[in-house]
Amino acid sequence: MFEIEIDGKLVNAEAGEKLIEVTDRVGISVPRFCYHEKLSVAANCRMCLVDVEGAPKPQPACSTPVSEGMKVSTQNEKAKSAQKSVMEFLLINHPLDCPICDQGGECELQDVAMSYGSNVSRFNEGKRVIADSNIGALIHTDMTRCIHCTRCVRFGTEIAGIMEMGGTGRGESLKIEPFLNEGIQSELSGNMIDVCPVGALTSKPFRYELRSWQMNSTESIARHDLVGSNINVQTYKGKVKRIVARSNDSVNETWISDRDRFSYEGLSHSNRLLKPQVKFDGTWKEVSWEVALDFCVKGLLRSAGESNSMNSLGVLASKTATLEEYYLLQKLVSELGCENIDYRLGVKDTKNTINLESNVKLSDLEKIDHALIVGSYTRLEQPMINHRLRKAALRGGTVDVINSMQFDFNLALNNENIIIPCEIANLLASTLKVVLESTNQDVPEELNKLTITKSATKIAKKLLSSDASVIVLGEHVINNDNAKNISNLVAMLAKNTNSSTLNLSKTGNSIAADIAGFFPGKDGLDVNSMLGKDMNAYIMFDVYPEYDFHNSSTAIKALSDKNSFIVSMNSFYNNNVADYSDVMLPISSYYETSGTHVNIEGEFQTFAASVKAPQESKPAWKVIKVLADLLDISGFNYSDSSNVLEEAKHNIKQGHRAEESINITDTNSVEVIWQPSPYSIDALLRHSDSLQETKIGQINKATMNSSTAKHLNLGDKDDYLGVPVVISSLVANNCVFINANKSTPSEEQA
Amino acid sequence: MISNKAKKEINSWVEKYPEGRQSSAVMEALKIVQSENGNSLTTELIQEVADYLDMPGIAAQEVATFYENYNHSPMAKNVIRVCHNISCMLNGSDELITHLESKTGVKTGEVTQDGNICVKKVECLGACVGAPMLQIDDKYYEHLTLEKVDAIIDGLKEGK
Ligand code: SF4
Ligand code: FES
Ligand code: FES
Repeated sequence: MFEIEIDGKLVNAEAGEKLIEVTDRVGISVPRFCYHEKLSVAANCRMCLVDVEGAPKPQPACSTPVSEGMKVSTQNEKAKSAQKSVMEFLLINHPLDCPICDQGGECELQDVAMSYGSNVSRFNEGKRVIADSNIGALIHTDMTRCIHCTRCVRFGTEIAGIMEMGGTGRGESLKIEPFLNEGIQSELSGNMIDVCPVGALTSKPFRYELRSWQMNSTESIARHDLVGSNINVQTYKGKVKRIVARSNDSVNETWISDRDRFSYEGLSHSNRLLKPQVKFDGTWKEVSWEVALDFCVKGLLRSAGESNSMNSLGVLASKTATLEEYYLLQKLVSELGCENIDYRLGVKDTKNTINLESNVKLSDLEKIDHALIVGSYTRLEQPMINHRLRKAALRGGTVDVINSMQFDFNLALNNENIIIPCEIANLLASTLKVVLESTNQDVPEELNKLTITKSATKIAKKLLSSDASVIVLGEHVINNDNAKNISNLVAMLAKNTNSSTLNLSKTGNSIAADIAGFFPGKDGLDVNSMLGKDMNAYIMFDVYPEYDFHNSSTAIKALSDKNSFIVSMNSFYNNNVADYSDVMLPISSYYETSGTHVNIEGEFQTFAASVKAPQESKPAWKVIKVLADLLDISGFNYSDSSNVLEEAKHNIKQGHRAEESINITDTNSVEVIWQPSPYSIDALLRHSDSLQETKIGQINKATMNSSTAKHLNLGDKDDYLGVPVVISSLVANNCVFINANKSTPSEEQA
Repeated sequence: MISNKAKKEINSWVEKYPEGRQSSAVMEALKIVQSENGNSLTTELIQEVADYLDMPGIAAQEVATFYENYNHSPMAKNVIRVCHNISCMLNGSDELITHLESKTGVKTGEVTQDGNICVKKVECLGACVGAPMLQIDDKYYEHLTLEKVDAIIDGLKEGK
């Protein structure tokens, strides 16, 4: 640490820092275009020129390292005239079309030109014009406005991990463009809009909608993944118009995924459920809230029967509710004496599934030196977590994977094990055996018979030799026949190799559901038992059966066939829901209610509503509260959702701990992994048209290798379980990896 | 399609760089592939080179569009590279270029109908003492005048 002088002020600086980092820290403004604190230094725009005493020419602050005793002026004649000249050059080829440019009002070029530019142009020659490229449904390009700062190019190589934009040509014909007109593929592409200092890259769905100053901005939390990225929700006249990233270094830094940025489009989809409806004699009638709720209460009480027992009420919710909603709904039905509560709709067997704690901070994830990923394509499934892992890999960390299909990771893999799902447990067990043997510990009997494979030795060695390793367990194994074993094995491996663990299988707001106690009580039924029984009534919270249930056709059948009284609260209309329900209550979607998301660190992130729920739909927590009042249940006097949160925090529930046994079963039929495609994991995403149009949004395939296809008698024009077949050697033999954007299996085989 | 022969040649360049730095051979690889394809590159070929060297397509495209030596449309038998950088410009390269354009009947960068000649504007070829100058194959023609240029073109037309 030493002192340097900037504009006559003495300030502290650290060796190795760049001048601009110091000026930024102490609040001295230096204009810049190419510099971005999260990207490498390119020093190509020259806007940040400042005068450094002793240097013959002005120096770029973004690439000039500080040194002791340095004297800098950002304001003297030399600096100012350099800045002014650079500004003039930058504007030579710029169209100056601010009035028709979407960036107007939030444009770095406009701002800097106001302070550093001249008010007349001396340039009378023709300006260069660049044809726009169509780079997909999310980003609009106006490349004539590009000032070649290369932030978008660096974003691609450094952050997204795929170089998609590049600078072609040279000199005056230099163009920033993608190579093939295939559209941008990255799951983080929207960040290019944020980093572009001018209006060259702007949001396509937001194009020509509004000026930035016309909108209100509220801080909120994005809820499509386990990170809960911090965002600003920009609204106008009660509608969400745009979402941009909000910096929070311990959560999402300055980035957000495309999912989080563009899903708001779904809010105004025509498929929203907007009015309470009640089924009279088989036909739906729109009614007032009073009538609908009265109908619910009567129906629920009637279903309790003579004995007035709520044993036969089932309560199911999707994974996207807020902590407050889970808590209140759970509290309501517990008060009624019902213990049949569950949110694990996609789990085949809740007694045989993953139950693993996560114990690593997001910001520490980039500091690990080794990661073992089991059953996850982190890049598309948890983009922001993958980004941290990628950072770790770029710093020299290694990454091993155990998956059933080879995925297009954007980080270098050290050791990729592609094995059939039923072998995963064996491989982990044999790895554990190696670990225990090499640390001179007793090997439990269950592991004795196991033969040690080369891959197991490799995986074990790596875990043992790393100081800060993490084992990441993903969604692909939730329905594995050995899911519980896998989960236990990972926990033991982590314990014995001093690794941390990251459980990516609890997606959406599942962690909040656990905390709120949204699982079956001691004598309660889990989701599959409920569906297998004759329940008299159900309360369904934002459930879309063909997407949410593990076996949708059985579930739909169970819900429609039996004569249960079904109350559905939904934010979107759904045919199947309409078929089996007796009442449909329209509830708020994302950004329309206050609430709390709990991320993988266990961090409670509370957000306010950014807009009102449209038309007659209502924030769900209020609906539940009123329902409780009407059912004469006391203890629901909340004036706003923060009271609910307060109470929920005092009543944190513990999920069931799985016993630590290992008992591996073998299968030898074809195994199916059903993984929803990244942009169809919840109702809001499924209704976001632009996202659906992207390459990732279109993913819908059942991938298998040729011998599996032969075995199943399928060709690449066929469908498997209703999903188009793709034959590829990337999948383990005897395994079908389904990534579907439509619906879950109609008939589960295997 | 990159032929096996070309791949072999590319490999010999790849070997010159440290392991994992195979993309450093991109310039040579593009050159080899271009000469195999009648002196020009296509988008597909550039992508193939990129795939072969395990680098992003756009990164290979950046290289291929940066240098004048790579052609992106079918090229003429004879490429006349006229320097239009500062020394040559001061010594009248603009005039030479206009003359060449009218003499060949096509604009710079375009190929004459018979596929014989293409005039390209290039940056400094390091022969400023002989400005204005041009290059055909490996040969430099310096201290040019309009007459000298006429003679060169006529020679090319006669197939010399
Ligand atoms: S498009 Fe925007 S971010 Fe990319 S180089 Fe041009 S000005 Fe910079
Ligand atoms: S910001 Fe320093 S050169 Fe661009
Ligand atoms: S400027 Fe033409 S050869 Fe150098």
